[in-house]
Amino acid sequence: MLNYCLRRLLLLVPVFLAVSVVIFLIIHWVPGDPIDNMVQIGSSPEQKAALVARYGLDQPLLVQYGVWLRNLSTGDLGDAIILRRPVLELIAENLPHSLRLGGLAFLFSTVVGIATGALAAVFKDSWIDRSVMALILLGSTLPSFWLGLLMILLFAVQLEWFPVSGARTWTALVLPVLTIGLHGVALVARVTRAAMLDISRRDFVLMLHAKGLSHQRIQLQHVLRHAMLPVVTILSLRIGWIIGGAVTIEYVFARPGLGSLLITSLAQRDYPVVQGCLLMLAIAVMLGTLLGDLVQAGMDPRVREHLR
Amino acid sequence: MTSFDSTLRHLALAAASACSLTAFSPALAQDATFVLNSREAGAPTYNPIKGTKLNIANNLIFDRMVMQDADQSFHGQLAESWQASPDGMSWTFKLRRGVKFHDGEPFNAKVIEWWIPKYKGTENAFMVEEIDKVIVVDDYTVRFQMKSPDPSLLLNMATSFMGIPSPKAYEALGDMFGVTAAVGSGPFKLVSFTVGQQTKLVRNDDYRWASDLSKNAGPAKIKNLTLREIQEDATAFLELKTGGVDLLLGVPTDFLPRINAEKALKVVTMPGTEVFYMPMNTSVAPLNDIKVREALALAVNQKEILTSIFGGLGMVANNFLVSALQEANINPKFNISYNADRSKKLLDEAGWAVGANGMRAKGGAPLTLKLWTQNGTQFKRVTEVIQAQLKAVGVNAEITVHEPASINAQYRKKTDHQLAVRAYDYTNADIIDWFFSATRLGYPNVSMFNDPKAEELNAKAMKQSRTWEERVANFKVYHEYVLSQFPLAPIYQPTQSFAYSQTRLKLPETIRGMKMATQSIMDIEVK
Repeated sequence: MLNYCLRRLLLLVPVFLAVSVVIFLIIHWVPGDPIDNMVQIGSSPEQKAALVARYGLDQPLLVQYGVWLRNLSTGDLGDAIILRRPVLELIAENLPHSLRLGGLAFLFSTVVGIATGALAAVFKDSWIDRSVMALILLGSTLPSFWLGLLMILLFAVQLEWFPVSGARTWTALVLPVLTIGLHGVALVARVTRAAMLDISRRDFVLMLHAKGLSHQRIQLQHVLRHAMLPVVTILSLRIGWIIGGAVTIEYVFARPGLGSLLITSLAQRDYPVVQGCLLMLAIAVMLGTLLGDLVQAGMDPRVREHLR
Repeated sequence: MTSFDSTLRHLALAAASACSLTAFSPALAQDATFVLNSREAGAPTYNPIKGTKLNIANNLIFDRMVMQDADQSFHGQLAESWQASPDGMSWTFKLRRGVKFHDGEPFNAKVIEWWIPKYKGTENAFMVEEIDKVIVVDDYTVRFQMKSPDPSLLLNMATSFMGIPSPKAYEALGDMFGVTAAVGSGPFKLVSFTVGQQTKLVRNDDYRWASDLSKNAGPAKIKNLTLREIQEDATAFLELKTGGVDLLLGVPTDFLPRINAEKALKVVTMPGTEVFYMPMNTSVAPLNDIKVREALALAVNQKEILTSIFGGLGMVANNFLVSALQEANINPKFNISYNADRSKKLLDEAGWAVGANGMRAKGGAPLTLKLWTQNGTQFKRVTEVIQAQLKAVGVNAEITVHEPASINAQYRKKTDHQLAVRAYDYTNADIIDWFFSATRLGYPNVSMFNDPKAEELNAKAMKQSRTWEERVANFKVYHEYVLSQFPLAPIYQPTQSFAYSQTRLKLPETIRGMKMATQSIMDIEVK
């Protein structure tokens, strides 16, 4: 198991390098540059050229990539061109907000999603099942932007239970968490229900029924355990999304976060910030899938045996 | 007790009551939260010397030498008075006394001597590039020796980028000035600042030197001012509606009816500082034909756009400058206004005949033009209406929507674009130089306008004007000539709108200046 972990971690290095090349090329090939956002009306073309040279943007792409990679190897993500601060500092300021929002939304969608999915599977074809399926349908199809505004209208404006926007108090987290969480609940509930119904058709479940165990006990103590494997896979893929996927929600609720930082920097073509943020997201996805694989190995003895 | 004693006693009691009433009367210390105009969101610094994007808080933290009113007149702030020599080669400023920076350091002529050279090597260096030397005449008098006359010196001095920081704090903080701290002499002190989120300010209780554009010379009536950045307009509106914020510094036209429907809210509109226009690429066929350009310019029905898209709010634009500017007041014959009949006649004269399908062609080639615009509701709507208006005179326009951050790179290719719908927000006539000088072909000179006579007039307006009056006159001539060549079609001038809670705030009757800014914020009371 330890060897497997080490092997997987080592494999991250070439993946990381490949991802860094893709990230670098994508942002530099997209039309536009940060200097346009910096030149003042009235400045001369010579002043603009001086700015381009100052930030090394007149160098060949290979040279620019080399400089960035060299700095990266020492943990230096460079300085933001527009924001003029170390990228690491900007990410450090915004990451906790994303982790808080994304983490709570992840927890909410996991717990509620598994619970509702299990409930729907246990009470298949009942009004409970139908209600859960309706919730899944709504959660999957409603655009998060619209859902967020609806949440604000209902809970902040009409009922005045929560603030409309911002990140000043813990209560300001509730509506954004619910908005993101409902999407996650829909996905997790659907996967849980489907997995449980699939497992329920296996021979060992028939055996358990034959032994006289109650339906609820079989579903919750035996079937649910087996159904967790595909759910863990789905959840591990969502971990990367926790960090940067909440950008529309951050926008609607005027919250800080890595998603907002990425979008603002992208609009301004602030290359170092975009590269830094995308790298963070890539690392989160890579680590998320690794964690998912390890959890699966921990849960499933067949996987552990295969790894030996 | 005698009646005299009794009287004294009553008087003493009355005096004591009066004192206690004063002591317990509501303090001036009040809190308010404003939401920044989305265009000002994301300002990364409060360093006026090095910053290229600043927001309204900058002028609350830092004072400037002068401020400008809506009629373009200049009013002293840190400069009490000024005089330019007849040849424009020197400017003498008498400085205000008794001004202190937030860190207690005094403001005087030595500060100005330190301040001007700080711009060298920065993106804002061009603002002071004509100043050769700063001479300290005495503690409160400073003289600028100029390299050449610069009638726009006062204009530059009135911009946000000419806020004056405390030398001591500026040197001590280095690159962190404006990021972790910012020290000026303004009516508010910076408490904290998170990029893209909010700025917290606290009143400078020592402030007594506001310009005469404010009724209140200082201190400000608001004690704690928070400036939030909420980019989603619906969220900002809902915050105002629920009392989460007190004032929105920018309100899209779409939201005005909803705000007007709320009894507790009020909308104030001011003349805008923006112009929507359609540049035409004069270097590519068929737009290299002046008759075609004039025809296209006259095909744009500005009034129809004003009423159908903007509900009549704002003004039509008939030339390239914001109407508040003196240089916009040109000979009316140069103004460009809708005239469909003349447009059709010009296209006929240019050889573009109307076919059976109502569209024009010449030598078998249809008159089809590319019409670019950028992503954004207003831009797309205006562009669609212009497409229909061009179709009405037989011109087919194909719309392409570009992402704002990438469109400038497309313009730089110089020959890909033909027509575009653009806007700028600027209150200085030298915007004509910015967008039409031959030294900036592609972008920002999207029209690819390269005309020797225009360059001559540009040089005269930009570099050879000795006084403000001369500058205005030269820019008018330059402006008129540019318009006569039809490198653009002017479209629309939006108003500025802001909304506030009437139950929370009391605003001054008149909003001075070109925007809601320091001079008016000094007079805002929290109820």
